[in-house]
Amino acid sequence: MEPAMGMGLVALMGAAATVAGCSEDLESDIGSQSNPNSQVQLAAQVGYPHRIFNKAISGEPPSNAMYCAVGAGVAMVLIQSVNASPLLAIAIGAFVAALLNGVFSTTAYMGRNASQTRFNQYVYLDVLRNQLLSLMGHAYITTFCIVGLSYVMWHHDLIGHPFPFPVIAMIWGLAVGAIGSSTGDVHYGAEREFQDFKFGAGLNAADSGNITRFAEAGIRSSMDNAWFCSKFGGPVTGIAFGMTVFLDNWRSTAFSGWTAVVVGSAIVLALIIYNRQIETYARKKYGPYPEYAGDIEA
Amino acid sequence: MTDITIIGMLMEHWVSIIGIILGGICIAVGVHFVPVGGAPAAMAQATGIGTGTVQLAAGSGLTGLLAAGYMYMTLSAAGTPGISEVILICATGAVGAMIMITVTMLVGNWVYIYGVGVPPASAKVDHDPITGDSQAPYVAPGTVGQGMPTVCFVSGAIGGLLGGLGGSLVYCMLMWVNGDAAISSIFAIGVFLVNAVLPSYNIQGTIEGFHDPKFKRVPKAVLACFIASLLCGIIAVIIPGMSAFGGV
Amino acid sequence: MSEPAETANQVDAKGIVVGLVGIYIAGISGIPYLAFLAGIGAIFATKMGADAVRRVCSYGIGTGVPSIGMLALGMGIIAAMFGLAIGKMYKAVFIGPIVGLVLALVIGFVVGSLTNKVIKLNIPVMERCLTEIAGAGVLVLTGFSVMVAGSMDFTVIVEKVITTGYIAPIFILGALGILHPFNASLGPDETQDRTLVHAYSCGAIAMVIGGVCSIAVIDPIAGIISIVIGLAIWYATFMGFVRLVKRDAGAGYVGTGLLPPGAM
Repeated sequence: MEPAMGMGLVALMGAAATVAGCSEDLESDIGSQSNPNSQVQLAAQVGYPHRIFNKAISGEPPSNAMYCAVGAGVAMVLIQSVNASPLLAIAIGAFVAALLNGVFSTTAYMGRNASQTRFNQYVYLDVLRNQLLSLMGHAYITTFCIVGLSYVMWHHDLIGHPFPFPVIAMIWGLAVGAIGSSTGDVHYGAEREFQDFKFGAGLNAADSGNITRFAEAGIRSSMDNAWFCSKFGGPVTGIAFGMTVFLDNWRSTAFSGWTAVVVGSAIVLALIIYNRQIETYARKKYGPYPEYAGDIEA
Repeated sequence: MTDITIIGMLMEHWVSIIGIILGGICIAVGVHFVPVGGAPAAMAQATGIGTGTVQLAAGSGLTGLLAAGYMYMTLSAAGTPGISEVILICATGAVGAMIMITVTMLVGNWVYIYGVGVPPASAKVDHDPITGDSQAPYVAPGTVGQGMPTVCFVSGAIGGLLGGLGGSLVYCMLMWVNGDAAISSIFAIGVFLVNAVLPSYNIQGTIEGFHDPKFKRVPKAVLACFIASLLCGIIAVIIPGMSAFGGV
Repeated sequence: MSEPAETANQVDAKGIVVGLVGIYIAGISGIPYLAFLAGIGAIFATKMGADAVRRVCSYGIGTGVPSIGMLALGMGIIAAMFGLAIGKMYKAVFIGPIVGLVLALVIGFVVGSLTNKVIKLNIPVMERCLTEIAGAGVLVLTGFSVMVAGSMDFTVIVEKVITTGYIAPIFILGALGILHPFNASLGPDETQDRTLVHAYSCGAIAMVIGGVCSIAVIDPIAGIISIVIGLAIWYATFMGFVRLVKRDAGAGYVGTGLLPPGAM
């Protein structure tokens, strides 16, 4: 393959990954999936019933791996059996995955809220209906992008990775879930879920479960959370996943053998140094907490 | 078609069993290096990455596996890779996993610093062992730290390195046995998951990295993963590839 | 958690017997139109795994519900393929699923003992539950693989299920089928019958997707039979699940409304 073509494909994959990361994070914010879910689950138990969507589909990485593996599997069936065009096949695969997302989200919302009856947590059917299509829509975008980039990676005329197509999609699904739950979800869990507390600190353990249940007007719905998180949490998750896909494929496409390893190590080193810089910036900018009473110098 | 027996496969592939055990132990130790704060970290309530141990280790290790699989294919064009090629493949996988985990931690820190407005700080040590910065004054009241200070970041990079190395080693060993990328990849995922979950029970949810007192529990996980990988290794090397049955 | 309506032994017995019978009828008959029976066996095995997850996770295992199923499926995939490969190596294809199952039970027990004795998690039901989950994992993976490939022959399964990559959706849907039922019903008012009905419905989803995959590798009609039967099981069990949600939520099952009295 020509180098220019290879670079183009890597850039395309990076772009698709960025979109996928962003929509994955917003999907999990609307559904309160992954770790911030623990507070939504706790809220009713400590006396704060709410109208926030509460779903947990076995953790973000396995559920996204499932959508992507199913999407790729269905696409592969269409390509193999009826010789469908890849783009159409991937679109149909992603649609099937979105349907599964809808089913699993429904059962998770109903099941979890019904299991909290004694805490006065209701099963609101309108919450389910309002949020469900948005969840499925975001899951569709995520799956479409990841299955698409896996197809580029797998197809023997393009990059030609030896793993089977659905396995590649499953691994990238696992990775996007892991990245989404470690980056963007923090913005939802630490900031949006506890927005009526002072900015500039994590959740005080004494306030656990006291999530923000009221909006500017009326009761907060999960759709508002996507509005908030799409300003920062979603896009940075996209950057993280896009960067992972791009940097990793770029170094193995543009360089070969030990050079690729050295380039990769240099990237890691640069990231460590950059992280140190933003750490010092934050320490200087914010300073120590005034409540601190110990005797260690700041 | 020649007869294949259990004993024959074991005799022929005992090196691969050792490789799988080594890979499994690398994964187990690597999981302890990754700073995971579990659910509390997602509320900026604990130091580390705000997700589960297994998820993150699997996400990074398997990203490394993708890079290693591609490298194996490139190198095997010139014949079955030997020891020196395997080292290169494992290094590729290790760097792939490191890139994934450092990017994740860096962007995680963006969210902590710019989105939540907290400086990264560890609650397990008074001073960062690498930079010497004081930590306790920067820990928000009512929490046990937040974000990834330099020591956690470096520890996480080491964890990614070991995880990617282990996963790629297991993959290479399986490729030596069955020569089929599809079988090897799915088995490598299986072995990886076993060796990532057992240490996560050892950690019990959260760990900050090599400076955390919980890190002293590593030997227990190594023993458990040694036995588990031995079992998986023995079984996995008995499974031949398609070519052994005269297939494609 | 309420008193179980079905004891662990009953669930296990049904899971193993129905699972194996389904796999054997589908695998030995060689008639592609009977392949769906392996899927039905796998649905019962899914339920067995889900019940074990339910029992073990009522103790805090420290790191979330999903990890235990990933552990079991990781062991399960290797054990399942080992069983089938042994069957092929000794030219006795029919021993495959049983060898895989026995081996998974042994590994599950060893790993369960490791977590209790070496890692000292000290959960009394850990050995038993991990044994059951690993066994369920093998039956689910073998069942759906046999359903997709329409055969118990190792080479056919490798060629049609693994090399094509259809193992990936089977693997992860099998895992979610075991994990999701309890995880989706987490809470103090969780009831066993609701969780287990949900397990059937998750298994049926995996069966539908498996049926879609088998369109490409065996007969399209066999695939469509699996899809239709899977969809029928899914519809019935999903409606059953919604009915049980209504029963358990009682007055809290509302179309719309503000927060409950006293919480506004």
